[in-house]
Amino acid sequence: MSKRVDWEKIRLYVITAQDAHPGKSVTDVMEQTLIGGAGMLQLRNKTGSRSEVLEQARALRVLTRRYGVPFIVNDYPDIALEVDADGVHLGQDDMSIKEARALLGDDKMIGISTHCAEHAIEAEREGADYIGVGPVFPTNTKPGKAAVTTAYVAEAASLVSIPFVAIGGITTDNADAVISAGAKRLCAVSAIVGSEDPAAVCRELLYKLTAADRAEESSNANAIANERETSGHKAEENVTLSLNGSSYQTRSATLDCLLAELGQRDKRLVAEVDGEIVPRSRWQETTLADGLRIELIQFVGGG
Amino acid sequence: MMNQQNGLTIAGLTFGSRFLFGTGRFPSPAELRESLAESGAEIVTFAVRRVNLEHTEDDSVLQHLEGKKLTYLPNTSGARVAEEAVRIARLAREAGLGNWIKVEISGSPVTLLPDPIETLKATEQLAKEGFVVLPYTSDDPILCKRLEEAGAAAVMPGGSPIGTGLGLLNPYHLSLIIEEANVPIIVDAGIGSPKDAAEAMELGAAGILANTPVAKAGNPVRMAKAFALAIEAGRIAYEAGRIPRKRYASASSDEAGSLFAAGPT
Repeated sequence: MSKRVDWEKIRLYVITAQDAHPGKSVTDVMEQTLIGGAGMLQLRNKTGSRSEVLEQARALRVLTRRYGVPFIVNDYPDIALEVDADGVHLGQDDMSIKEARALLGDDKMIGISTHCAEHAIEAEREGADYIGVGPVFPTNTKPGKAAVTTAYVAEAASLVSIPFVAIGGITTDNADAVISAGAKRLCAVSAIVGSEDPAAVCRELLYKLTAADRAEESSNANAIANERETSGHKAEENVTLSLNGSSYQTRSATLDCLLAELGQRDKRLVAEVDGEIVPRSRWQETTLADGLRIELIQFVGGG
Repeated sequence: MMNQQNGLTIAGLTFGSRFLFGTGRFPSPAELRESLAESGAEIVTFAVRRVNLEHTEDDSVLQHLEGKKLTYLPNTSGARVAEEAVRIARLAREAGLGNWIKVEISGSPVTLLPDPIETLKATEQLAKEGFVVLPYTSDDPILCKRLEEAGAAAVMPGGSPIGTGLGLLNPYHLSLIIEEANVPIIVDAGIGSPKDAAEAMELGAAGILANTPVAKAGNPVRMAKAFALAIEAGRIAYEAGRIPRKRYASASSDEAGSLFAAGPT
């Protein structure tokens, strides 16, 4: 099973694509993705010499250690071992999971790209630690490969119990559809590393993932409340939040309502929910749920 | 004739005033506003705090600064480690206050002296994230150099601990820092009166950040004006070039022609 890796923390998986950022080094660009919150990195270099790949792998190993993030090497189990990467990623045409496992031992992760339900089921059976699910959309990273669409994402969500990562042509514009289909983890390549500001793209994608988590939690909470109501129990309408460090009960449904209730909505303040800044434009869509930690912050005189 | 003062340039922006204005502890918002006007300052600093939920009226300092052309320099006071300072910086940026940040990480509640290691870490991280970072730091020349290398847009060594008004405790170190620097050095903290500000400026400091000596003065508005003049005077003196120090006297007039000199006999 997944060695030394906390999958809860891994929501965004970023893969290198040095052709997507001419003039910028792989390490610099990848560090930006880590700053943006990438939870796992993969070195993918299909064109470079072995020594170039080895050099990049060494640098990324140092970098990912610094950020406490797992590091995967595409294709080269020997390099993964040499730099003490956390594992390798295989394609359907590469060596089998069994062969890779024999080389790497049980401590390393093995991930594999899958394009249909049979692939996914086989990967889990063979002992893969995670699978890639895609390409969800047509992509330049793997030209000529037919997109599997979000239908396969939904299928994978119900078929395998190992973590799966949706990949292929995912951008901030289409991520919501992938998440709706059931993806808890996204992988993007050119949309991130090819952008002017990779950290910002990462933050945006992570925001979409956590917003979906919150919506799901609150709909679960509503379902429980509805159930209570219909089964004759008194509905529990109050939500208990942690507000600036104190417990606070409210009937407000959204962050926007809460700020209005507090008489703070028109102030120049910043709202943080569970440690993440929620821009004013999103206050209305941010639903409140029990146990949310909300911080309201403003600016006061100081030197 | 050279009488044109050059402005203070930080991260590509040029300011006419070399006074960075702290906004805390003024007796009233009105005195804050008037003092700021008298100071001529174009950069203001303030702190980030939790909203006081007991009061619904706007007690944010920003409402008193609205409508003025100012560069905002929020500070990270209250942070004890780099991570907390980074969080404050991101919050301030999210609030739409721009991307300048004064890193201030206290290592001791008694002296409020900056924690050099955490300050360096935060500076490095924030510079990478695209902030214009002005770290408040101790007056250690090597540390100041390291902060510059970490990406600080200006470095702000303290003259003495915050709010003490003890002035420049180590002018020798400050002059070394200024000599070595490739970014503006702004003396922050510990300034007691305009004399201290002028002294720092004569040493070659690029600017002064002061708050308490103005806000807690008998008349903050007059004191703001006095600081503005002292900072300007100190800068002009630095550019004009002071005389070297000598151990013994040298008369201001030539001795030749003195009425009492021994003439030829």
